[in-house]
Amino acid sequence: MTTTTTPQPAAPAAPSAERRRRAPRQLRRQRSDLVAGPLMALPAMAGIVLFIAVPFAAAIGLSFFNVQLGSPRPPTFVGMSQYVRLFTDPVEAPQFLRALGNNLFFAAVVIPLQTGLALVFAVLLNQQLKGIRFFRTFFFMPVVFPMALVAVIWRVILDRSGSGLLNSAVDAVTGGAVGPHDWLGSGATAMLSVIALSVWQGVGFQMVIILAALQEIPEERYEAARLDRANGFQQFVHITVPGVRNTLIFVVLLTTIFAFRVYDQVYILITTAGGNENALRTVLYQATNAIITENSVGRATAISVVLFVIIVVIALVQRAVLRQRSES
Amino acid sequence: MNTKLTARRAGVAVAMLAVAAAALTGCSAGSGSGSAAGDGTGDIVVWGHQGQDSEVNAIQDTVKSFNASQKKVHVTLKLISGDTYTSTVTNTPTNKLPDVLEMDGPTLASYAYNGKLAPLTGSVSKSTVSNATDGSIAEGTYDGKLYGLAQYSSAMGLYGNKKMLEAAGVSIPSSPSEAWTPDQFSDALKKLAAANASGKSLDLSESALNGEWGTYGFSPMLQSAGGNLVKGDKASGVLDSSDSVKALEDIASWKPYVDSNTDGNAFPNGRVALSLSGHWNYPTYSKAVGSDLVALPLPNFGDGEKVGAGSWTWGIGSATKHGKAAGAFLDYLLNDANVKAITDANGAPAATKSAFTAQSVYQSGGALALWGKQLEASCPATAITKDCIAVYRPVTPGYPVITSKFSSALSAVWGGADAKEQLTTAAKSIDQAYSDNNDYK
Repeated sequence: MTTTTTPQPAAPAAPSAERRRRAPRQLRRQRSDLVAGPLMALPAMAGIVLFIAVPFAAAIGLSFFNVQLGSPRPPTFVGMSQYVRLFTDPVEAPQFLRALGNNLFFAAVVIPLQTGLALVFAVLLNQQLKGIRFFRTFFFMPVVFPMALVAVIWRVILDRSGSGLLNSAVDAVTGGAVGPHDWLGSGATAMLSVIALSVWQGVGFQMVIILAALQEIPEERYEAARLDRANGFQQFVHITVPGVRNTLIFVVLLTTIFAFRVYDQVYILITTAGGNENALRTVLYQATNAIITENSVGRATAISVVLFVIIVVIALVQRAVLRQRSES
Repeated sequence: MNTKLTARRAGVAVAMLAVAAAALTGCSAGSGSGSAAGDGTGDIVVWGHQGQDSEVNAIQDTVKSFNASQKKVHVTLKLISGDTYTSTVTNTPTNKLPDVLEMDGPTLASYAYNGKLAPLTGSVSKSTVSNATDGSIAEGTYDGKLYGLAQYSSAMGLYGNKKMLEAAGVSIPSSPSEAWTPDQFSDALKKLAAANASGKSLDLSESALNGEWGTYGFSPMLQSAGGNLVKGDKASGVLDSSDSVKALEDIASWKPYVDSNTDGNAFPNGRVALSLSGHWNYPTYSKAVGSDLVALPLPNFGDGEKVGAGSWTWGIGSATKHGKAAGAFLDYLLNDANVKAITDANGAPAATKSAFTAQSVYQSGGALALWGKQLEASCPATAITKDCIAVYRPVTPGYPVITSKFSSALSAVWGGADAKEQLTTAAKSIDQAYSDNNDYK
């Protein structure tokens, strides 16, 4: 107080002036936050609006019209009739519902199978062995192949003649007791064949994700378990699986979306390998067919909208279930 | 709160409709651009599909020599991959289409219907039109107007291995009138399969049935049986008629003798004695089988032998401002020298009368003379007679739906499904598409 050179009357004003000076700065900073936030989000938001929201809204709009690709005629408004037809038309509904059923069957088999196999492979490949890198690369390799190539390879494997790879293998194993089978042409085995090749192609991807998670599990836990005399299986169930739980959830979500997007292999096998169309058609195949071979934009968009709704419902249900679990 | 929410909802709905309307108008833009004849000079753009290397060379040479031969018209050629060619043209707005464009024969009607093509009359010289084969005219005529002229067509039937046919004691038909009946054909398949270590006797590219090959190669058999794909604007009662169903059942009954041919070598390697195929396999087959290669007719299902025909054809874009120049280029493209160049490159039968008569392989004494004879008796699918053999696929804007539904049904029946059921479903789908589009009027 005594050392201060500041005139006394000014003293009490000083803090308030400081506060006054600081307050607008804060306000300004808040205001600039208000601007900067949205500004920085703008490119991403614009991308979402431009490339997802607008096309999707347009798709919904188009599904109410009869629009032919490349036609100069004005589209005619048909209301809900594209949707009504998908579910009730005596010709169209069986095909669409079959496609939906095929998708659900594919998902129901592929999701547990592919996730389970990926986990098993990841555990196997997580060991410290000589040359483990070679095996890791080997198991991951099919992921690098485009699905079109995979379909062409499997087309040779699944060839219906007695000289087809799978048929000759079956013949050799059974000693000729089982004759050649038309794996892709038969309604009973067509989808199972596609599931086999899809899992073969896709499992490496999930495996790598799980492998990364496995390496995050601290070794001490296994050590502790071994001290408690837990055997290999017990270690797997009580340490490995809980350790990669969150990754497994992510992998299941991912596989679910992949399972509903199945198209490439199905299209190639139907059009070039005599695949049983009715047993292999998927929702996406129906949509693409509607637009590419029949130029019907309206029907294709209606199918896409239905597919979107289904995926949203499944995603919501999955999220609800998983959230419940993690809370409990 | 409530009103706010509904207001917001209404706002979203309005925005959505606006977007939809924008999208719709976007689709319909590009119409109403009329063609103009021009004064026969100028720069024109030509679109073609990129086929085999030899075909590419031939068309490039044609353009080069055309540009060098005169000063009035300059042609710029743009080749587009054959796999995506049709979808490229379908998705290109009319005013962005070139002056001259190539197109796959059966797609011509839908382009003409959608206003993408200008009629050729007036642009192309009369002598060019009169030199076109009946097939070329049938393929290019829609709604009474000529929109397309082809350089070449296609020829198909059965290839036979003479040595194997004779060894199995199967008679060899030497003209379309001697074509096997379905019973004789089944009998031949059985005998040939028994005589072959493979146990098979026929290749028909079964893996490609669910595609254009199915409609091109197999709908003529329905027509031979008295059925058809469509009649007028209706498929019901035609595609699912008992004649059509019977023909499809006969086709499916060959399956035990058919090689799946995953490697594409069933016929060259002698695993089968017969191959249902076309001119495109002639180079490979004649190299492998040599002088034992014979061209045979398809089986006659009752109404005379019928085979598929047709290929790529050329037209003029409706937005052209140089109709005359485009016509002059087409005249040049369709003259003997240029048709010979392209058919030498791909082995296809020429679609102009003068060039066709000069093709020794399709004329009497030639290896494919029988198929040449088939092409001389050609007709459009709308006017089939007993004497007509080479049937050009229906020239209708509904063709994309027809071929998609028919090939699907064919493939399903081949896989064991019921023919009547499949064809009935296909016919209903086709009729639905026609009625959705006001019968493409």
